[in-house]
Amino acid sequence: MSSASPPATKKSVYEGSTQFKNWRYSPEKLAHVRSTLNQAAVAVIKRTFEAYEPGSSANVLFLTADEEHLLVKHYIATITQLCSLFRFPEEVEATAISYFKRFYLKNTVMDWHPKNVMLTTLFLATKTTNNPISLETYTTHIKSTTASDVLDLEFLVAQSLGFEFSVWHAHRALWGVWLDFQSLPDTAADWPQAHRDAYETALGYVRASRLTDVEFIFTPSQIALAAVSLTLPEESYKWLKSKYPSYNAVETTVNKIKTIIQSLSRPPDVESVREVDRRLRLCKNPEKIVGSKAYLARKAEQEKKAEEKRNRKAVEAGEDDPFGFELGRSTIVDDDDDDDDDDN
Amino acid sequence: MDAVERANVERQKRWVKDQKVGEGTYAVVYRGREASTGRKVAIKKIKVGQFKDGLDMSAVREVKYLRELKHQNVIELLDVFSSKTNLNLVLEFLDSDLEMIIKDRSLVFLPADIKSWMAMTFRGLEFCHRNFVLHRDLKPNNLLIASDGQLKIADFGLARDFADPGYKMTCQVITRWYRPPELLFGCRYYGTAVDIWSVGCIFAELMLRTPYLAGESDMDQLKTIFRALGTPTEQDWPGHTKLPDYITVGQFPKTPLRDLFTAASPDALNLLSKCLIYEPRRRISAKDALHHQYFFAQPHPSYPSKLPKCATQLATAQPLEEVDANVDMESTVAGGKGGPIKARPKRKLNSPYDDSKSRSIARRLDFTQPIPGS
Ligand SMILES: Nc1ncnc2c1ncn2[C@@H]1O[C@H](COP(=O)(O)OP(=O)(O)OP(=O)(O)O)[C@@H](O)[C@H]1O
Repeated sequence: MSSASPPATKKSVYEGSTQFKNWRYSPEKLAHVRSTLNQAAVAVIKRTFEAYEPGSSANVLFLTADEEHLLVKHYIATITQLCSLFRFPEEVEATAISYFKRFYLKNTVMDWHPKNVMLTTLFLATKTTNNPISLETYTTHIKSTTASDVLDLEFLVAQSLGFEFSVWHAHRALWGVWLDFQSLPDTAADWPQAHRDAYETALGYVRASRLTDVEFIFTPSQIALAAVSLTLPEESYKWLKSKYPSYNAVETTVNKIKTIIQSLSRPPDVESVREVDRRLRLCKNPEKIVGSKAYLARKAEQEKKAEEKRNRKAVEAGEDDPFGFELGRSTIVDDDDDDDDDDN
Repeated sequence: MDAVERANVERQKRWVKDQKVGEGTYAVVYRGREASTGRKVAIKKIKVGQFKDGLDMSAVREVKYLRELKHQNVIELLDVFSSKTNLNLVLEFLDSDLEMIIKDRSLVFLPADIKSWMAMTFRGLEFCHRNFVLHRDLKPNNLLIASDGQLKIADFGLARDFADPGYKMTCQVITRWYRPPELLFGCRYYGTAVDIWSVGCIFAELMLRTPYLAGESDMDQLKTIFRALGTPTEQDWPGHTKLPDYITVGQFPKTPLRDLFTAASPDALNLLSKCLIYEPRRRISAKDALHHQYFFAQPHPSYPSKLPKCATQLATAQPLEEVDANVDMESTVAGGKGGPIKARPKRKLNSPYDDSKSRSIARRLDFTQPIPGS
């Protein structure tokens, strides 16, 4: 909607958001991001395979960007299932799905399997939307899940999101659009009651849209409008005309969203998911598989570096500081004993 | 190393941690600087390892809101990075807070100074509310003061958004002395008015130089409020007796604010009374407060760079010339009307308050009167 509205003199709140600034893409850009990530990952993993067992990458069929995306889509549907199991509010579900999708614009499934990422993003979303539950409750209700499955990736997820936890959702915008519809001239007094089912239908389209990329390409209110337009085409048209002198532009946008929702919002079929997941097991980054040879080697390397750093620090702390800063310095060292990478 | 991890390391390298400067309930705060520019910053290190549920809620809230809110009167979050089990928030470095200034008995506040702090508080708060964020913990020590005198709202560890009306919220928020009566009565559906009450208490405290409504327990807090402002009637506040934790704490008569705030201008008292209206829906909004007559009447708000500062701050203060005071004041107070503040010529030339000698004696009695022993 904002694209067609008259140029605002003051930036709208939405336009000041991190979502507006950092999480909007053109369809081409999205495709580019995904294929670049995919290619880079394949190159790295190939090298790792070769380093540990020369020749071992020759017959591996790595995932394509599309196949990665198929898996991501499958796990979006899983988030929805988990949310109904826990009876989480709409806000939690929508936020978790946004986090999950954003995560895979910065990472690939060959490094981080969607299952645990999904568990982490959902848990994080309960907290960022102010609906926290204890980790214990969370894990005991999900089959064969441990606390570390959820927490180990929490920092990585937060980092991948750029610590931008605030998300603007289409379901909220839908409520706004809905209220606005009722304010149209000659709207019957019982309009809200008469259209309760229509509202649910529109909400259904908003939910379906979460399986697509629309949230990266369009604004929440554009998506909401598309959902209403799929539900009540005539009323939407009327509303659009009354609201926007240049409704043609808005209509074009809305139609694009409608097409995407109608064609791309079904979860992938189980067979193709299984097939991709089977292949993923063979082409996963071995350094990210706990217990594998490559993983252990990488860990050992990290430990060694940390140890060296600690030693270096101990030496520095022991030195006499001619300028009399020992006190301040040693307190910092004491305080940082547990994290050796804080002395940057 | 992944791109994401690499980016984190890059971020980490941008900042240098120097000395520990303070400790809060869930964080240690260091003074630090930006490696490339030497810009002074505060690095708030939150230990996450100690929480069995991972990133804790205060940290999550603080990051969530500060990431979005960029305003001259809201503390700026410059960066976030993690190191092992810690989360590090890089914040602009702010030397002192309003509590320190209020408590520093060597400082004298002019009415224009109080007006300036109030204007900055309301501007920051109006911005939060416009962004659908409730602060829920406003008090003098969460209003930090930069070396150029700018006031910044800080500590968003209890904040939440209120885009969802009719959503049940906890009433266990806001430090007691600044907590509005609806929360003390257990109200679970509330809004921006809770922050306004807190600002009212801060306003009063600036004038009195001592906390205005200092109850000793939650129960006593209600009594303290009613003793000061009169027990509300059904007409003052329809429906309040139906609130979940409603109790009667005695009948107290209304006393005019004027009796306690003897030196305050009628405009100041009018705005104060509107912040402390019992019925939350009738309490003034931050936006309306910014358009209140108080901010347009004489004296005009002091320029931030000329506000009283704690001694510790003076040492690090920037030269006054560096601060473009005209820009400071014109932003929202005048609300576009091009009000009197904007129109005023550079104050340095003609302000009667610039003279430090007049400051040290001016109206001392007026504003220290209610403090015992002074
Ligand atoms: N931006 C900042 N610039 C300079 N010093 C700061 C800054 N933020 C915090 N400090 C210092 O660090 C101390 C601890 O701050 P922190 O915000 O963690 O806790 P607090 O608000 O004092 O207490 P609590 O955590 O109980 O609310 C402060 O008292 C202050 O001295």
